[in-house]
Amino acid sequence: MTRSSFVSRSFKHWSLLPGVLLLAALTLYPLANLVRMSVSTIEFAEGSEIWRFTPRANLAQLLADDVLRPALVNTLVFVVVSVAAEMIIGLALAIAVAGLVRGKQWVRTAMILPILVPPVAIGSMWKLMYNYDFGIFNQTLTALGLAPVNWLGSTSLALTSVIVVDIWHWVPFVFLILFAAVEGLPTDLLEAARVDGATRWQVVWRIMIPLLRPAIIVAFLFRTILAFKVFDEVYLLTSGGPGTATELVNLHLYKVFFEQNQLGYGALLSLAVIAAIVAFLVTARHVSVAVRAQ
Amino acid sequence: MRQFLRIIAVFATTAGLSLGAAAQQPFADVGKQPPITILVASTPWYPAFEKVVGLYEQQTGNQVKLDTTPFGGMLEKARNAVRTGKSPYDLMFIDTQWTIEFYEGGFLAPLKEIDPTFDMPKEVLTYGDSGYWNAQKRWRTADGGKLMAYTVLGNVQLLYYRPDLLKQAGIAPPKTWAEVAAACARLTDPPKMYGFVVRGEKGNGIRYDWQSVMLAEGASVVKDPAGGDYTVTINSPQAKAALDLYIDLLKRCGPPNYGTLGQGDVIQLLATGKAAMGDVVTAAFASFEDPAKSLVVGKLETVALPAGRGGVFGAVIGNWNAVIPKDAPEAQKKAALAFSRWFLTSAAQRAFAQAGGIPNRSDVYTSDLAKEPRLRWMPAYLETQKFAKQELGYAEGAQVEQILGLRLNQAAIGEMSSGKALNTAAKEIEELFGKNGRKTGALPPLPE
Repeated sequence: MTRSSFVSRSFKHWSLLPGVLLLAALTLYPLANLVRMSVSTIEFAEGSEIWRFTPRANLAQLLADDVLRPALVNTLVFVVVSVAAEMIIGLALAIAVAGLVRGKQWVRTAMILPILVPPVAIGSMWKLMYNYDFGIFNQTLTALGLAPVNWLGSTSLALTSVIVVDIWHWVPFVFLILFAAVEGLPTDLLEAARVDGATRWQVVWRIMIPLLRPAIIVAFLFRTILAFKVFDEVYLLTSGGPGTATELVNLHLYKVFFEQNQLGYGALLSLAVIAAIVAFLVTARHVSVAVRAQ
Repeated sequence: MRQFLRIIAVFATTAGLSLGAAAQQPFADVGKQPPITILVASTPWYPAFEKVVGLYEQQTGNQVKLDTTPFGGMLEKARNAVRTGKSPYDLMFIDTQWTIEFYEGGFLAPLKEIDPTFDMPKEVLTYGDSGYWNAQKRWRTADGGKLMAYTVLGNVQLLYYRPDLLKQAGIAPPKTWAEVAAACARLTDPPKMYGFVVRGEKGNGIRYDWQSVMLAEGASVVKDPAGGDYTVTINSPQAKAALDLYIDLLKRCGPPNYGTLGQGDVIQLLATGKAAMGDVVTAAFASFEDPAKSLVVGKLETVALPAGRGGVFGAVIGNWNAVIPKDAPEAQKKAALAFSRWFLTSAAQRAFAQAGGIPNRSDVYTSDLAKEPRLRWMPAYLETQKFAKQELGYAEGAQVEQILGLRLNQAAIGEMSSGKALNTAAKEIEELFGKNGRKTGALPPLPE
């Protein structure tokens, strides 16, 4: 092999080096540092950091953390319920809007709006709407002669109220992905089914949904990852209360890391969250492969 | 007691000043200084501070850039500023709860090390010595401590009440918590009128407000932290009585969402005329007098927070301290201190009060300003200074607040009994102190 051919062959690999180095600097180094932090206790004195190696103490704190348990359960409920509702409503809306003869663009534009609103604004807006004394929901209920509802102050209702906000926020995201997929379905196939006497329900259930599977899986994966990462809305709406009714893992992590300044234990919690998301992604990938194989 | 005597001495010294003399005291001449940047929270008193800064710029020609940040982002900005080695801020305002972390971490420049001639004017209130740090004792005290900060704004809770409604019901302004409970029973008519509103939300809200009742009942979180005895006393019968009373007030006198009631909600209920009495910070008074924000302009009066069963008064101080980062350039530190000298003058503090702020000098409270109707909160504030205390003044303060903030809220919403909540909190706080090598212990558990 001549020198010039070796250079030309290896160039494509070398050309990737800057990107690889950048990726390593921006992801691997922080991750490695996070791992190092997670087995340490970090304190400050004389303006400098003092690191102590305390993996057992951090792990013991993780296992004894009284708030983490309800936070994990709440997070799981939040992810399962909100993502399931968003997928069902988003899919139904995508199919319904795709069937419109006129005004599709208007609906699509209107549906984008909730995604464009910053989560901080969404949290503040819904907090006002949920307000017991002045909120629009209770004002409406009172005007109708009904009793006001303690939307965010009741332990049995607070998490549901938070989930409703998330559904309102993210249904459009699912809708947009699935709407594009529905629009891309082969019309001749759908027409043929209708000519063969299939009902609208049969067309949707037996033809559209199977064809939409790849798009549904993509939307589901994105939404699940984002649902695990939810923070702003819950922080503004309830800050995890009342009690631990809406305490989520990310909220707890924030409090440990930033409010209590427990950097080592906070890092361990972060790793636990990352591990949970990775475990979910691996499982979802296997499920996705199995579904495609069918 | 010593703090109380010191405050009395300060007031006695300054009360002799003639009103005119206080008004005529000059602003400090600080000369030409380089521009400085101040980290300040977006709070109800920020507009007043901004006006005073404008006055400083106008008088001295020196420039001040204000980095206004929502409360939630303040701590992170301050931490990042001091941990990166070159602070973008020359002066930072930090909540009193955060000061221990900054003092212990060695991130701040003691004020006298910047300029040995700098002295706090004797009229400036010390707010429980929150600006001093004794590194050996790990405690905020002027006794052997270095001056690290001064209070920009000292907030204490006051009892706000509607004299028109109380008069109508034939009730005098309450002087004890039992009287508050009795008055609320007669004033409450939900959802039109709530007799008494106070924060019940998880975290800082319930912890901070409840501690005033706790102090009034003669209870404490820790036995003697100043003396190094961190025996946990939060599950005492007195603390339980304070918690039972507080929960009763929340449930019986406030709205059904009492478990999530935050400061904004309490202020909103008072400002809209839906509450007859409330436990709110002094800084909120200006907004109640603003017709754009309030339906009760001129209708609210204030008194010091009520006493407990033993006649003891209690209030917790929540002040903002001005600190200078150690890693700011020397010239910038001096410029920040020059601004501070100017800000601490009687004239500047008068201007601050007139703009809607809460001055930190006792002579302003004994001046003609205290007679202005829109500053009619001043006597109650001054009265509160006699017994108000700093709480959770140790390195574990933030974690103790998280523990108490959760357990008190759980008791309030009925997730656990008051006895169990306090026992659980005591156990968790004792473990925390034990882990950090403190001399600690606990009281026998309360019946659950």
